[in-house]
Amino acid sequence: MGQSQEKGQGQGSIYNMKLSTVGATRPTETGTTHEPTGLDLAMKLHYLKAAYIYTPEMARDLSVTHVKEAMFKLFDQIAWTTGRLWRRDSGRPYIKCNDCGARFVEGECNFTVEEWLSKPDRSVDEFLVYHQPVGPELPFSPLIYVQMTRFKCRGLALALSWANIMGDSFSLLYAFNLWAKVLSGDKINALETSTMDRRFPKTNPTVKDPKSIKQVDPVGDLWITPNNKKMARYCFNLTVADQISPHFPTNGDDQIPVFEILAGIIWKSIAKVREAPEPLTVTIIRKDPNDLKPIRSIRNSQMISSVHVDFPVAEASVEELVRCMERATDERCGIDEMEERCDGSLDYIVYGAKLTFVDLSEVDLYEARVMGKSPESVYCNVEGIGEEGLVVVYAAAKSDERVVTMTLPQEEMDWVKSEFGKCGLING
Amino acid sequence: MPREQMPEFSSSVKLKYVKLGFQYLVDHFLSLLLIPIMAIIAIELLRMGPEEILNVWKSLHFDLVYLLCSCFFVIFISSVYFISKPRTVYLVDYCCYKPPVSCRVPFATFMEHSRLILNDKPKSVEFQMRILERSGLGEETCLPPAIHYIPPTPTMDEARSEAQMVIFTAMDDLFKKTDLMPKDIDILIVNCSLFSPTPSLSAMVINKYKLRSNIKSFNLSGMGCSAGLISVDLARDLLQVHPNSNAIIVSTEIITPNYYKGNERAMLLPNCLFRMGSAAILMSNHRSDRWRAKYKLSHLVRTHRGADDKSYYCVYEQEDKDGNIGINLSKDLMAIAGPLVLPASEQLLFLLSLIGRKIFNPKWKPYIPDFKLAFEHFCIHAGGRAVIDELQKNLQLSGEHVEASRMTLHRFGNTSSSSLWYELSYIESKGRMRRGDRVWQIAFGSGFKCNSAVWKCNRTIKTPKDGPWSDCIDRYPVFIPEVVKL
Repeated sequence: MGQSQEKGQGQGSIYNMKLSTVGATRPTETGTTHEPTGLDLAMKLHYLKAAYIYTPEMARDLSVTHVKEAMFKLFDQIAWTTGRLWRRDSGRPYIKCNDCGARFVEGECNFTVEEWLSKPDRSVDEFLVYHQPVGPELPFSPLIYVQMTRFKCRGLALALSWANIMGDSFSLLYAFNLWAKVLSGDKINALETSTMDRRFPKTNPTVKDPKSIKQVDPVGDLWITPNNKKMARYCFNLTVADQISPHFPTNGDDQIPVFEILAGIIWKSIAKVREAPEPLTVTIIRKDPNDLKPIRSIRNSQMISSVHVDFPVAEASVEELVRCMERATDERCGIDEMEERCDGSLDYIVYGAKLTFVDLSEVDLYEARVMGKSPESVYCNVEGIGEEGLVVVYAAAKSDERVVTMTLPQEEMDWVKSEFGKCGLING
Repeated sequence: MPREQMPEFSSSVKLKYVKLGFQYLVDHFLSLLLIPIMAIIAIELLRMGPEEILNVWKSLHFDLVYLLCSCFFVIFISSVYFISKPRTVYLVDYCCYKPPVSCRVPFATFMEHSRLILNDKPKSVEFQMRILERSGLGEETCLPPAIHYIPPTPTMDEARSEAQMVIFTAMDDLFKKTDLMPKDIDILIVNCSLFSPTPSLSAMVINKYKLRSNIKSFNLSGMGCSAGLISVDLARDLLQVHPNSNAIIVSTEIITPNYYKGNERAMLLPNCLFRMGSAAILMSNHRSDRWRAKYKLSHLVRTHRGADDKSYYCVYEQEDKDGNIGINLSKDLMAIAGPLVLPASEQLLFLLSLIGRKIFNPKWKPYIPDFKLAFEHFCIHAGGRAVIDELQKNLQLSGEHVEASRMTLHRFGNTSSSSLWYELSYIESKGRMRRGDRVWQIAFGSGFKCNSAVWKCNRTIKTPKDGPWSDCIDRYPVFIPEVVKL
């Protein structure tokens, strides 16, 4: 673990990296622990990433000290996330709340914000997110990495890499919004995460054999998803009106289900490229529609549902696929039970166990204002994906646009891109 | 067993009251004598009536020359008395630096960083962990920003910026508290043992606050943890010579340049114990300050054991075999510190004889005078748990007496020369400082030095609303376990 954290080693065009630690301002009582639920443990091999880019006008005067002090105030509310993983005698992991802290990485970039944002494939933002997996020594692995990158023009990028065992994407984005509030001087109050809040509604009947989860070979204490294929990433913008709406018949002024349509189009394109096995089952991860309260705590509350079709997807219409997606089955209870049965001793993956679609479009990413201005660009992705691939859909700066981040096997990526070109999702 | 202890207890209580009574008698001997005499005279005068008084006056046959000579004589004696009387030196007020919360270093963070920095030396990491577990430090002590990096970045610039941060913040607070104008500072003493740049820290302060060009400034370096009291001693001497003056003392230790990067164990010790802190103190000899000053300096004693080799080498800055510079704290330290404060030491007897003539007969108990009757409060330099334990044992102090020292070590770590002021601030924050209370500050330093200062509280001090303890005093005192499980 020591080598990759040497000072000065950059990731691509980021250089002069310096590592330190941020935590909470008040000491946590000795002996405090945080127990992950079965669903938390199922997500342990995944890491959520988000990168926010701010222009020089917003971020010129923002120093490392400002950012760090705001982080300290943020972690006061969620001090347990600064703890470390230990194992019980049974082998089940838990978080010891010892205030160890989140790793804070400072870096510099030779490009200006404009130059950086002019790159067409937004997956270049991966360089802005410092990431290390949990392990090989659990008690010395931070669960959160924060990277602060200073661009040549004094613009700033702030990124979080966050172990999914703690909470879902919604929690991460909520935490980042809280941080932005602290920076502007507002007081924040995050709810305590009690075990009560972390239960989710039991479906009737409970799905006994959830399709959205797959067991993998034991990974021990190094929590990396074992993959036989090399994965590639691609990130692009599209406009709802120009590129999504044409694929769906509208009934007057009804709201079109943008995410479902987009997912359907992409599913079709991938099905055309991927012959064996055909992706007849996909996983949909989105905000729990029954959870009417706005997100107020850090936990895994995302709804994980599975869609299965009996007909060949490549030939189906987008409408049919959208209709099937609306009948997705919530599999969270089943997943939770599977983990509880083995008491966390078996290792599973969820993202990429089947082709996975994540809907983050309901989250207001641009609420994370610095100096009153929204970020210029936001990037979201997940690390540690299974071979079936992942598609993340979220809002762009303009309200009628969406951003899509895809992680697929390298061998499929170019074919899928050309399929997108054929159906007009990307230009050229 | 209990029955045997009972008579002992009651007799010791009786003894205590006898001592107290004796103490009061001696302290107020003059006034106790004067009051009955004045009462008698007053009664006589009232009895006699005005004509009789005049007759008595005439019968005394006062010659003019005789009268004038006696007057001059009285005036002469009183002048000599007032001139040779040492000026009262007041401690008007002081401020301790409270580090920003972003500098906080919990145990787990310290250990994780240690493993990453010393990743190929697990034995050194083990050693640091064992030290930390038994150190008596808490989870809220602070290190300067440069030391938070993996690996630390102790450049000269960072050291300067730490110095500016700790010194200027403390001084700004002091100016605000005391309404002092920078141009009114006549004497400036800065003591910082291990960081001595050019221009000096005192020059840095003069430059920042645009102090007067005829200021008497001193920069004491290399004098260890007891330098704070050495500065007080210097200020006192200067204030005897210069009338109507203000003296500012800044006591600090700059951690940044002294972070040891090697793996020699005895030299890793300071990394675990030394923490960020500073104090700014305003002393003066203005008569007008006698109402607002917090303390009066009663006595100050300095002892130096450098002549003895063992003492001299017990805290030694050196290069280890790899050429890394650090400070070696020898195990002999405690053996040397012990006898110094035993009353067998001639220095302390000297101090005691000054106080003892006024307070009590020092031979009640076998060879250990009861310091608890001499002083209400004790500030023992929070050099480490072992130092406080040793002194508590040798001076037979109760847990409450050393509470200020232990809690300062827990909350702020070993802040070197400024720790005595954090301890004093603790006692004030607990509302225990009353007018007339005497405080004994004891500091140890490399060399080997032991310095003591005795202050008398000038006015009852209200619990301060600001200050380093304001947000956490309610949580103290805490129980500090022998070994903290990390």
